Amino acid sequence: MKLNPTLRSLLVAGTCWLGVIGTAGAWTLEEAAKPYAGTTVDVVFLLRPGYEAAEAMLPEFEEKTGIKINIIKHPYENALGEQVRDFVANGDLDIALIDLVWIGNFAENDWLLPISEFTSNPELADPDLDIDDFFPLVLNAFGGWNGEVYGLPFDNYSGLLFYNECMLKDAGFDGPPGTWSELKDTYGPALTKDGKYAFALQSKRNETQSADSFARVLWPFGGSFLDDDFKSNLMSAESQAGLKFRQDLMQYMPEGIVAYDHAEAVNALAQGDVAMLTEWSAFYSTLKSPDTSKVADCLKIAPEPSGPAGRKPALGGFSLAVAAQADEKERAASWLFIQWVTSKANALEYLERGGVPARQSVYEQDGVAEKYDFVPALVESWQDGVPEFRPRFAEWPEITEIVQEWGSKIMLGEVSTEEGAEELGKRMEAVLEEAGYYSGEKPLAQ
Amino acid sequence: MPVNASSGTIRRSTILAFLGPSVVTLLVIGIGPLLYAVWTSLHYFNLTKLKKVKFIGMENYASVLTDSVFWEALGRTFLLLVISLPIQLAIGLGIALLLHQPGVGFLKTLTRLSLVLPMATTYAVVGLLGQVMFNLKYGVVNQLIGFVGFDPVNWIGDPTNAFIAITFWDIWQWTPFVALVLLAGLTTVPSEIEEAAKLETKRWFTVLRYVQLPFLIPALTAVLILRTADTLKLFDMVFTMTRGGPGSSTELISLMIQRVGFRSFDQGLASAQAIILLIITIILSQLYIRLLYKEV
Repeated sequence: MKLNPTLRSLLVAGTCWLGVIGTAGAWTLEEAAKPYAGTTVDVVFLLRPGYEAAEAMLPEFEEKTGIKINIIKHPYENALGEQVRDFVANGDLDIALIDLVWIGNFAENDWLLPISEFTSNPELADPDLDIDDFFPLVLNAFGGWNGEVYGLPFDNYSGLLFYNECMLKDAGFDGPPGTWSELKDTYGPALTKDGKYAFALQSKRNETQSADSFARVLWPFGGSFLDDDFKSNLMSAESQAGLKFRQDLMQYMPEGIVAYDHAEAVNALAQGDVAMLTEWSAFYSTLKSPDTSKVADCLKIAPEPSGPAGRKPALGGFSLAVAAQADEKERAASWLFIQWVTSKANALEYLERGGVPARQSVYEQDGVAEKYDFVPALVESWQDGVPEFRPRFAEWPEITEIVQEWGSKIMLGEVSTEEGAEELGKRMEAVLEEAGYYSGEKPLAQ
Repeated sequence: MPVNASSGTIRRSTILAFLGPSVVTLLVIGIGPLLYAVWTSLHYFNLTKLKKVKFIGMENYASVLTDSVFWEALGRTFLLLVISLPIQLAIGLGIALLLHQPGVGFLKTLTRLSLVLPMATTYAVVGLLGQVMFNLKYGVVNQLIGFVGFDPVNWIGDPTNAFIAITFWDIWQWTPFVALVLLAGLTTVPSEIEEAAKLETKRWFTVLRYVQLPFLIPALTAVLILRTADTLKLFDMVFTMTRGGPGSSTELISLMIQRVGFRSFDQGLASAQAIILLIITIILSQLYIRLLYKEV
C-alpha cells in the first residue's frame, strides 16, 4: 500500500516549515522535553542486537530529557500477544512495537496515533526529522496503513544471503549463486558432503515458517498468498513451483530443518556446518563477531538469489508508534523518544552498535559501505521489495497460524504441495470471508 | 466453638464462617473464570476484533467438533497418556516397592529426596533442558548413545522422534511422583498382615496382588486422576521444548488451545475447546472412580 501523496506532501512541507522555524527558534530536545521530565515511557523491546544497540544509547536520551524509558523485553514470539493483551486491557504500554504484519491489526483497532499529531506540533517535532530520508519502501511497509503514517521504522531488515566464502572457494566457486536454481542445482550437490550442508532455510513452526521459509519461496517464483480478488493464489503454477522448489532444496539442508529457528540457522552458519544462509540483516553483527562466529573471517554477504520473477527479498523489521492508550504526557514523551532513536543524527551510532537504521543518508556516508559488508546488498534490497511480502492486514495473525501448520506439513511430506496449498487456501479464504473482504465490507488492502 | 447447647450441634453461622472464605475464594478464582469461559465460548470473541463481538450460540462448539485438527490434537494427547501413564505406573510401583523394603535407611532417604527433584523443576525449565539435551549436534543424549555405538538421532526435528522425546521427558519428570504416592500407599498396609503374607509365600507378586494392591487402590486412583488431568493439560514442557512441532507432531490439545486463543486471538473458539476438554476430563475421572473403587 502506498502513502497518500497529499499526506506525504503535507508531511514533507510540515517538516520543512518546522525546519525554518527550528533554525530561528533553535529547537532542542532538551527544551522540548522539559515539560515531560520525570515521565516514564513503557515499551516492548525484543532480544535482538538492534534493541541492545538502542538500549545502550538510552542513557544519553534519559540524561538530556529526564524521561525514563522502561523497557519490557520479550522474545519475538511473545511480543504480539503481550502487546495485544496490554492494548485490550488498556494497560501501561505507551509505545507500540509494530512488525510489518501487525500494522493493519493495530491501526484498525485504533491502538495507534498517527505521527501527524506530533509532526504538526512545533514544540515536539524535530526540524531535522526529515521523513523523506527513510527508505520509502520501508516507511511505507512498516509505518503506513491506509494512507496514514503511524510508526517510524526501527531496526529494519532485508533478507540477505550470508555465505562462507572459504567453503565456497574450497568447492571451486568464485562467488555466491545469483539464482535460486543455481543454488540448488550447482552449489547444493557440491557443498553437501562430510556432514556439511549447502544451505539452511530456517523453517520452525512459528512466524519463521511463514515469513522466512514459505513466503521466501513464493515471491521469487512469481507466486503470492492472494490474487487480486483476495482469493488464494497458492494453487497457481508459480506458487506451486516455489513450494516444490523448497521441497527439492531440502536435500541440501541439515536434517530437522523444520525445527530450525533463527538462532539454530545462524548458529549452523557460524559453526561452519552450512555454507549459505538467507537471513535477516539484523544478524550481521552475530555472524561477523569472532566471539559468536567461527567463520567471521570467511563471512560474505550478497543479495538473496533471484527467481524467475526477480529477486523479491524478504522484508522484515519493525516500527515504533505512539500508543493511543498513553496519557498526554506519555504520548509526548514517547514521540520524543521515537523521533530521537530513529533520527538521522543517531543513525550512524545505532548502526555502529549493531542496529540496522532505515535512514538513506547513513548508508551514503563515506566508509559505511566498506565497513559494513551487508550495506550494498541491503540498500539494493530496499529499492525493490514487496511490501505485502506477508499481507499486513488485521487477519494476518490468524492466517499465519494456518500457513505455519500447513507449510510445516508440506515440508515434512505429510501432504503434497498441492494438498497443503489447497487446504491452506480454503482455510485462509474462510478467515477472509469472515472478516468481510468478499462481501465488500472491507477494502481489499494488504 | 459456639455449639447449640440443646442439641450439641455446631451452629449454622459457625459453619458458614469457616467454610465461607474458601467457598468465596473458589467462586472468584475457579467458578467465575469458568463461567466467563462458557460465556465467551458462546460468542464470536476475537481479541483483535472486539468491535465485532456477538452471540453465536453453539457455533464455536460445532466448529471444534467438526475440526479434524482438534481431533488429531486430542488423539495425540491420549496417545501420550496411554504410553506414558502405564510406564510411569510400572516404574513408579517398582521404585515404591524397593523403597518399601526394610534396611538401608540412609540410601532410602537419599532416594526419596532425589525423587522430589524432577517434580520440583518447573515444567518450562524441563522443556528448555530437553531442547538442549536432545539437540541433534550438541545434545548430551546423542553423546550418550554415541558411546554405545549408535548414530546421532534427530530428536527434535523428526516428527516421530520429537513425540518420543516429549513422552520420555514426561515419564522422567512424573514417575517419581507416582513412586512417592504409591510408597505412601504401601505404608498403609498393616505390617502384621504383610509379615504374615510373607511367611505364607515367597512369591512377591502374590503378596503384591492379594495384600498390597488392595491397599494401593486409593493411591492408584489418585495417581490416575491426577496424571490424566495433568497430561490433558500438559503445556509448558512441550511448548518450550518443541512448540508443538515439527509440523503438528507434538501439538497436544493444550498447545492447540493456547495457539487458537493467544496467537490467533480467537478466545471464543479456544474457550469452546477448553470446555470440551474439561468435560472429557470430568468423564474420565468419574470412570476411574467408578471402575477402580468398585474393586475395594
